[in-house]
Amino acid sequence: MASLRAIARRGGRRALTAIPAPPAFVPLQARRLHDQVNHGTLPHTGLPLTPKLEFFNSVASGPIPTFRVLDGEGRVLEGAEEPEIDRELARRLYENMNLLPALDNLLYNVQRQGKISFYMTSYGEEASIIGSAAALDNADEVLGQYREMGVLLWRGYTLDSVMAQCLGNQEDIATKGRQMPVHFGSPTHHFMTISSPLATQIPQAAGVGYALRRMRKPQIAVCYFGEGAASEGDFHAGLLLASTVPSPTLYFARNNGFAISTPAAEQYHGDGIASRGPGYGIDTIRVDGNDVLAVYVAVKEARRRCLEQGRAVLVEAMTYRVGHHSTSDDSFAYRSRAEVEDRKKIDNPHIRLRLYLQSKGWWTAEEEEELKSRLKKEVLTAFKRAEKLKRFPLETMFGDIYAGEEPWNIKEQKEELARLLKKYGNTWEPWKNELQKFENNGKEFTEKS
Amino acid sequence: MAGTTAPGGVDASASVEPPPAGGHLPSVATSRLMRSTRDSALRTPGLHWNDVEEHAHGPSPVVGQRQTQKMNMYQAIRDALSIALTKDDSAIVFGEDVSFGGVFRTSMGLAEEFGRERVFNTPLTEQGIVGFAIGTAAMGQTAIAEIQFSDYIFPAFDQIVNEAAKFRYRSGGQYNVGGLTIRSPTMAVGHGGLYHSQSPEGYFLGAAGMKIVVPRSPIQAKGLLLASIRDPNPVLFLEPKILYRSAVEQVPIDDYTLPLSSAETVFRGSDLTILTYGTPLFSVETALALLANPPESIAHAIPASVRGASIEVLDLRTLLPWDMSAIEESVRRTRRCVVVHEAGRIGGLGADMAAEIQERCFLRLEAPVRRVTGWDTPVPLQYEKFYIPDALRILDAVVETLTF
Repeated sequence: MASLRAIARRGGRRALTAIPAPPAFVPLQARRLHDQVNHGTLPHTGLPLTPKLEFFNSVASGPIPTFRVLDGEGRVLEGAEEPEIDRELARRLYENMNLLPALDNLLYNVQRQGKISFYMTSYGEEASIIGSAAALDNADEVLGQYREMGVLLWRGYTLDSVMAQCLGNQEDIATKGRQMPVHFGSPTHHFMTISSPLATQIPQAAGVGYALRRMRKPQIAVCYFGEGAASEGDFHAGLLLASTVPSPTLYFARNNGFAISTPAAEQYHGDGIASRGPGYGIDTIRVDGNDVLAVYVAVKEARRRCLEQGRAVLVEAMTYRVGHHSTSDDSFAYRSRAEVEDRKKIDNPHIRLRLYLQSKGWWTAEEEEELKSRLKKEVLTAFKRAEKLKRFPLETMFGDIYAGEEPWNIKEQKEELARLLKKYGNTWEPWKNELQKFENNGKEFTEKS
Repeated sequence: MAGTTAPGGVDASASVEPPPAGGHLPSVATSRLMRSTRDSALRTPGLHWNDVEEHAHGPSPVVGQRQTQKMNMYQAIRDALSIALTKDDSAIVFGEDVSFGGVFRTSMGLAEEFGRERVFNTPLTEQGIVGFAIGTAAMGQTAIAEIQFSDYIFPAFDQIVNEAAKFRYRSGGQYNVGGLTIRSPTMAVGHGGLYHSQSPEGYFLGAAGMKIVVPRSPIQAKGLLLASIRDPNPVLFLEPKILYRSAVEQVPIDDYTLPLSSAETVFRGSDLTILTYGTPLFSVETALALLANPPESIAHAIPASVRGASIEVLDLRTLLPWDMSAIEESVRRTRRCVVVHEAGRIGGLGADMAAEIQERCFLRLEAPVRRVTGWDTPVPLQYEKFYIPDALRILDAVVETLTF
């Protein structure tokens, strides 16, 4: 039975709504009321007693609905309230949503040419990332997973900074060339440095939220993660802590249907990530992640609740990972090209917002063309500039391990490398060539007495 | 700071009752390592007062006016936490069951004194506790997290090794979790079995960026814990739980610290160096008494030639990064070395110590570096007396090394 259900649901969330609601559904609240009157409550717990043997699953009222404002044609959905978004904000959303693919196109391709070692695109998730970023206060502390470069861009992180980190050059103050590409971080932009281990940022975000509350700051912690990362133990720990301790922390799940090759249907058997929120006593909403206005409105309200309650709030954005997982992945090994093309066509976050803008008279075809070519040019210029820069000095490898006095082992190992570089640095080809890429060409080692 | 103790070991003025006429072996209660008078407590080597500036405009309590109080180790730790919370508004203390005082009483009364916002229980999730602590520390706050037993630190291994240790490095120094201290009871307790006895420090030796500290007594616990809390790096502070109640000494009541990454020479000697930390220090002391004056039951194994040997004992105190210069200096002088720890041998600190000593002191060594450790088995319940590196095992290794 379970396997049949899993098969029926393959393909992720689209099939989710097809799961029939439990038969003869009685709202939980009504049931509680009825039983309480007749049978009282379990001592010391306040739990209503019932004589009925009844099991339940996920959320008792059936699948959690997805909040949407704009339909596929960019029209405000019947019954939806048109959000208070002015021309300027709407255009800014659209421009930032377009900056992401502009960067992705270039950086994906230069990785293919071997100019950077690795890259991860945001294709398909632009509305989720930019819409949520716009709804936050720019000083809210963000803890991301790795596909949230858009939040930084929204906050004014420069193209030079993006290039510096991806190339690991001497302007890469985010990691000093120590971390892989797309592992950004910037205290000025309130964006904590990304690390590769999945979900570790989730309980950390609870601590950040708690610290903000103790510091009496009017800001919250915001934590992004994918639906795959939500399977980690740290997801459980983080939501539990942020609701129990409690801490003003907004959890934003990007449910894009895939964790590398694993479809969401193999990631969980319940109703996505959103159904877990109520289990932790957390206010939760599921939102159409390809509808930037819906994301914006939902996150704005989530943030308000977060501050007001001082407790975690969960937003699950349903979207689709249009790109490969990373440059090390060929997603057509586990999903068809047609499926991806189909999704791009029927559920494209850019097209929906563009049509909305056009219907308002806030956007023209000329502006569209101008934007695309301008972004392309800016991105290329930034890359060309960054490509020419050298890396941090080689000795940076040994820095920032500890604050304070450098331990003897680090000191000795640095000396050992210096000895080896003096002995072989000019002759051993793999080192000789590599040294030229660093500021000073490693002279702080080779010319040290 | 290593080697600041006067030759002859712990200050002779420490009032320690002489053994009764029939003679009995030193125990934690009668150890020469305990400073049982105010005077000796105030002359703890390396002790640094932290309240001098506060008194700059008032009457400064010179050492002569400093007070001490008789405390066991859990009380000394509680005292350190109280000082940390008083002096630093950003400091918070949390973990499983800490708000009622903690299962080892190390946070008794702190929740009442400082409020539930600063001293609180967390849900039962070790990875969550350390992750949460990293988050608060990353915001520049002082996070003092407790893991109930060091045996239960492994769910947080990822957060400690991949996150806390690498936080500063991976962010190019833009972020750090220097305000993080993780306290946890450790080592055997007589009946802890597999999961209330472990010494997990070896697993963390590769976590560059972390510091690991183990105290041996109340004075040490307070001074090293305050130093750990204020150190600008994340610290794993492991408290030998068998000493919580049994180790008692006069502890200065003011705010003081003891230096990290500094071993203390607790007994001076010239024939052999013993490197150890935590609970085994007291077994080492007993072993030295047995060596000098072996009871009849084992006298046959202790040649008269070694009974007068002068043994140097170093309390390592900080295990990462450890005090290499003190160790090297000592071993070069004594030419023989025994490392003692409760953790299993493979992957234990002794392996790294022995390797470093071998590289540095190769021509000086007159015997192989011996390791007296727990066996490479889990810590077994009914077999504990045969598992731990007790006084006899230490004595045997010392004799074998001296006669090599």
